[in-house]
Amino acid sequence: MISEGVLNQSLLGGVIQNHSVLNPQGKQHKRNLALDLLLTALIDAFSILVIFLLMSFSSTGDILFISKNMELPKAQLADALERNPVIKIDEGKIYVEDKEVSAATITESLLDLRTKYTELHPGEAFPGIATIQADRRVKYDLLNQIILGMNQAGYSDIKFAVTSK
Amino acid sequence: MRNKKKHLDFEVNLIPCIDLLSVCICFLLLTAVWLNVGSMNVKQAIGGQAAVDTVKSPLVWIRMAANGDVNLEVQETNNVPVAQRKIHLDQVNNTVNWEQLETTVASLRVLEPALNTGLILPVATTAYEDIIAVMDKLKKNGMTDLGVSPL
Repeated sequence: MISEGVLNQSLLGGVIQNHSVLNPQGKQHKRNLALDLLLTALIDAFSILVIFLLMSFSSTGDILFISKNMELPKAQLADALERNPVIKIDEGKIYVEDKEVSAATITESLLDLRTKYTELHPGEAFPGIATIQADRRVKYDLLNQIILGMNQAGYSDIKFAVTSK
Repeated sequence: MRNKKKHLDFEVNLIPCIDLLSVCICFLLLTAVWLNVGSMNVKQAIGGQAAVDTVKSPLVWIRMAANGDVNLEVQETNNVPVAQRKIHLDQVNNTVNWEQLETTVASLRVLEPALNTGLILPVATTAYEDIIAVMDKLKKNGMTDLGVSPL
């Protein structure tokens, strides 16, 4: 069945053979213009694509918005990123959840976030987790302002955003 | 009675398979996140505990100089010989000698398996990527409790 269905009517066996130039006046064959595509190869390719895309699929989604000029540092042993308050350094400016702050007001801003958390989760202990997102070339001088502000506001768990190597 | 030849072979209709796979590919391509972002976790001491209550465990201080030199100092240990408690690593091409740092931390971990705490002391000009790289090296050697000291 397979040999009849596929091989005999395939491109080589079906159409080119009927158009042979070696025997142009030979017996007239019925021309079969309907081509059978080999769908098995197509399904193989599609399956490989689906498997590759599923392997590289990230269920965490876009937690951080990384601007074009920002390059995160690379690390081999990075943990999974979770949704926490994000403190970002972009072009020398500090942002707490996309709100621009200064070294003097960062503690106040983080304390506001802490107050909101305790209002939304009454009876729960404050986890004190925040994510720092900064370009890999940023100097520690600037990062230090954030770390000090976090310490003063009671954020003890710092998660530095990195790209996995 | 006339016997009919019964064909047992049949052809599977592959068109629905292709439709399904095409939809899957489109969905996955649209929702794919190509940049794998993770996090390097650090636990900072915020001074909420009395010094007397703090359990003393072996720790290593990693002082990073501006020129790439690194000084390691192991504390709260009896297993590491005194001569090896303070180690100086010279820079290579104005950057940290990463290979030597990794081997030094690995050898310290062999001498003191309970060495799980690493505290990094950068200077103002230390690049963020260098701090992360040091943390990565410590984590690679099985150190779990990492911290960064403020200036």
